[in-house]
Amino acid sequence: MIVGMARLIVLALIGLTVVYFLVSIYSKSVRREKLEKEWDTDPAREDVPEADRTAFIEAGMDVYRHGLKRRLLWLIYIIPMIVFVTIIYAVNW
Amino acid sequence: MWTKIKWGFRILLLLIVGLFLHYTLPQHDVVQIINTYNKLTPIGANAIFYSSGDTGTGTEMQADTRDIRFIDAVYPDGRTVMVYRNEDTGWIWPPYFKWDSSTLQAEAANLKSDKAAPTWVAVTHYGWRLEWLSTFPNAVAINPVAGPDVRIIPWVNIILLTALALAIFMVRRMWLQFRERTIDPALAGVGDTWDAVDAKADAARAEASGFFGRIRAWFSTWRAKK
Repeated sequence: MIVGMARLIVLALIGLTVVYFLVSIYSKSVRREKLEKEWDTDPAREDVPEADRTAFIEAGMDVYRHGLKRRLLWLIYIIPMIVFVTIIYAVNW
Repeated sequence: MWTKIKWGFRILLLLIVGLFLHYTLPQHDVVQIINTYNKLTPIGANAIFYSSGDTGTGTEMQADTRDIRFIDAVYPDGRTVMVYRNEDTGWIWPPYFKWDSSTLQAEAANLKSDKAAPTWVAVTHYGWRLEWLSTFPNAVAINPVAGPDVRIIPWVNIILLTALALAIFMVRRMWLQFRERTIDPALAGVGDTWDAVDAKADAARAEASGFFGRIRAWFSTWRAKK
């Protein structure tokens, strides 16, 4: 019983961590693409040097790293836990 | 020819996923319970359709025969019957986390009724009754209902299937993003260096088509350049 539960927790943690990393890479990539497009489609920035573009993107990524959206990725761990507890309650009581 | 094989493979995959979901997701039967009992049940090649050995009633007996609770029921037509098993589930799959088989058996016995004054109940269960493999659906919950014609909305299935569809959609979006941002630029680089040898570049591009071709080509961009 305890062994089964421990096995489930370990497997779930491994699985969810993989999902967490994949989604976080995806989310970062989407944000970077958005920043790149924002810069590239602005006619006023056409002749601005490449270094400024890099600085703009890095500044945007820094905002992302401290933003709410990145923190919401923790839901990848939290939602399955809530589902787990809800199932146990619904099935056994 | 290849198109046919590809489509055959896709249909087979869809069928397997569909059957898997049909087996695992909860379903509701409106029935009348007519009997509850325990039976020593030998479990052999059909073990996959029973709880794993280290759960519930299996704990006491690590043999290939164990005491399993059963519930007999009859559908509103008065003739079609169903036999449910009532076993604890394991920790991994199916993820019902059911530990209350004894309580459920008592509830079933309490709701037992005879034909003259039937008590109708909704039995939530998963699994299949396959006579030739001796498998029984596992009852998860038993709730009294107003009559034989009640309509039960499968909320759990609606939510789970919606979540599954969302997950598939997200995986697709993530794959497309990865391809656009990581694989295609890498392959474009390969194309540039090989532009001198045009035939080779064409060959690389031809090889880099399709899902696995792209992945293979992307991996080969990791190798040291010759």
